[in-house]
Amino acid sequence: MTEAVSTPDPFEQIEQDKARAYNQGLTPLHPPQKSLIRLNTGIFAAILTVAATAVEFAIRNELPLAAGSIIGPVVAFALFLFAFLPNRIYRRWGYDMGDEQLRVLRGFMWRTDTIVPFNRIQHIDVAQGPFQRIFGLSTLIVHTAGTHNSIVVLPGLSTPDAEAMRDTIKGHIRQDMI
Amino acid sequence: MTDTPLTILETEASDTDIDTSFRRLHPLSIILKSVAAVGQNLIFMGVLYFSVFDRNIAYTALAAIVLLAIILGVTALVWSRFTYHIGPKEIRIKSGLINRNNRSIPFDRIQDVSLEQKLISRILGLATVKLETGASAGEDGKLDALALADAEALRDALRDYKSGIVANAVDAAEGAAPAVESEERPSLFTMDNRRIFIAGLFNFSFVLLAILAAIAQNLDFLLPDDFFNPWYWAEQLSEQDMVNGLSFSAQIAGAVGALVSLIAVGLGSGIIRTFIREYGFRLDRVDTGQPGFRRRRGLFTLTDMVMPIQRVQAAILRTGPVRQRFGWYHLKFQSLASDGSGESDHSAAPCAQLTEVAPILAETDVANVTADLEFHQVDPAFWWRDAFILAVILGAVSIGTGVFVDPGFYALILLAIPIIAVLFLNWRHHQYALTPTQLFVRAGWWRRKLTMLPIRKIQTVDIGQSPLDHPLDLATITVGIAGGSVIAPLKIDDIPMATAMALRAKLI
Repeated sequence: MTEAVSTPDPFEQIEQDKARAYNQGLTPLHPPQKSLIRLNTGIFAAILTVAATAVEFAIRNELPLAAGSIIGPVVAFALFLFAFLPNRIYRRWGYDMGDEQLRVLRGFMWRTDTIVPFNRIQHIDVAQGPFQRIFGLSTLIVHTAGTHNSIVVLPGLSTPDAEAMRDTIKGHIRQDMI
Repeated sequence: MTDTPLTILETEASDTDIDTSFRRLHPLSIILKSVAAVGQNLIFMGVLYFSVFDRNIAYTALAAIVLLAIILGVTALVWSRFTYHIGPKEIRIKSGLINRNNRSIPFDRIQDVSLEQKLISRILGLATVKLETGASAGEDGKLDALALADAEALRDALRDYKSGIVANAVDAAEGAAPAVESEERPSLFTMDNRRIFIAGLFNFSFVLLAILAAIAQNLDFLLPDDFFNPWYWAEQLSEQDMVNGLSFSAQIAGAVGALVSLIAVGLGSGIIRTFIREYGFRLDRVDTGQPGFRRRRGLFTLTDMVMPIQRVQAAILRTGPVRQRFGWYHLKFQSLASDGSGESDHSAAPCAQLTEVAPILAETDVANVTADLEFHQVDPAFWWRDAFILAVILGAVSIGTGVFVDPGFYALILLAIPIIAVLFLNWRHHQYALTPTQLFVRAGWWRRKLTMLPIRKIQTVDIGQSPLDHPLDLATITVGIAGGSVIAPLKIDDIPMATAMALRAKLI
């Protein structure tokens, strides 16, 4: 469970090794996850652009602004996000299935590193959204009894990986821990 | 009562024949709930009296009788459709007039059982049973209300079930019977009136002030304007003194008077609130079933709660700078279920000396602080980083407003002194210690909190780094425990990253 399962492409292997350098040597997410992050960032950037255009057209007659003085910076920012963010977000994600515990590392600016012992997990979900289905990805969601961190989410796993992890964890769930 | 509930009773009777073990709540609970509903509708009747009925007492009385009949009828109907059944392993509750709801609560999942008796319930000899599973906010099973004897029988049934499990487990493991003692042991902790008074002194609150203000707003036609406003009295005082030509000192006297009245109201409401809640506080250990704590308290509303000891997740010791000087502490137990009245943890000793806390803690798996326990300080960046940011922002604001608005605003920078002092004191009081089995975390200077957490109760551990933490290579550990506050989880702030990683390795 320490290696991602299906990465025959040598280029992807290099990508994976690069990702490990950033996430303390943990297992990176399934590579298509990067495309999914890029898609989500793209949608966000598009919304930003549309909003900026709407604002600019709305106030064009009210304020003496040069054309593109709102669209310009916003589009630049959106492009910056789109070009810069997905890779960074992707390579900061990492997970590690230990013998007794699941470790999840995430975050580019705000980093969080969570450890959940298997025997503290109450139940598990494997979830898949429409975009994730296109890329063959799944999200593993584990629920603990803790009030803080009652839900630990690990997105961007290949669906077979997620299901295998679920089955591994399932064997460790114990009754009446609290 | 009208005919309606009787007919319903008959149709329901055929229903219950199928499963005769299902029982209803005590019939008097109809009256109990009706009284509550009537109370809620009194204002409505008052509005009707003044508006629609144009102060015609006869119409209003007629409407009141009709309303009373409706309330009684509906309450009786709801009562007749509410049945419960205590099975060998679960409680089932059927309820609902139109949308029938059939709930099953396994005994295994029940965190604690509490019996509550409001004033009217006490007169009628009833008690409300609340079952907490910790699944969501509020109680998951509420039987409102049973005869007191039935309620106690239900609690005992639960206790016996749990003791059965414990006995089996022990038998399987060691073949030894669990030690069963009688309940005649002396209490673990009680509070007499003097102690409750002391607790009240530290329970400073403005809740009463808010209530009085609300009353004053609604009943202001009965009282002189601003009767509850301390400034009103202050002004009265200063006006009288101004006649004597002591205007300046009178103003000071007025301000002092206002402050004193405010403090008096705060203290008074704190004491009253504490008396209402904690009157007759008594904490016992019960051994007749699963070992647990039994807590009884309340002046008007009596509550009687039993919490199994194994459900205790962590112990929390709260105090304040003044309280600590006099040696008073508030011991709480964190569990998945929440206490009534909005407290997130179970109060076990609201006002106790450390010598009284120790024996209570000794009953649990939570170890007390020992004298040789070494607490570690968190990184000084905890205070100086915030102090630096604050100084920069306050400096900018004070210069900005000072230059452009009024030079007097330069004084805003002085605000930084008390705030930074508090930040520094908070840092001094933020410490942690680790033993092989337990984590201790101290936090807060004004609201001091010591959390004692057995390591095996830890659910998750987070190491978090904010953008400001990266240059200093600091990290914050957040520990996930069952129960407690969502907003303020247990944290160890600003310790070096390497220390955090090492600490986490020991925690899990």
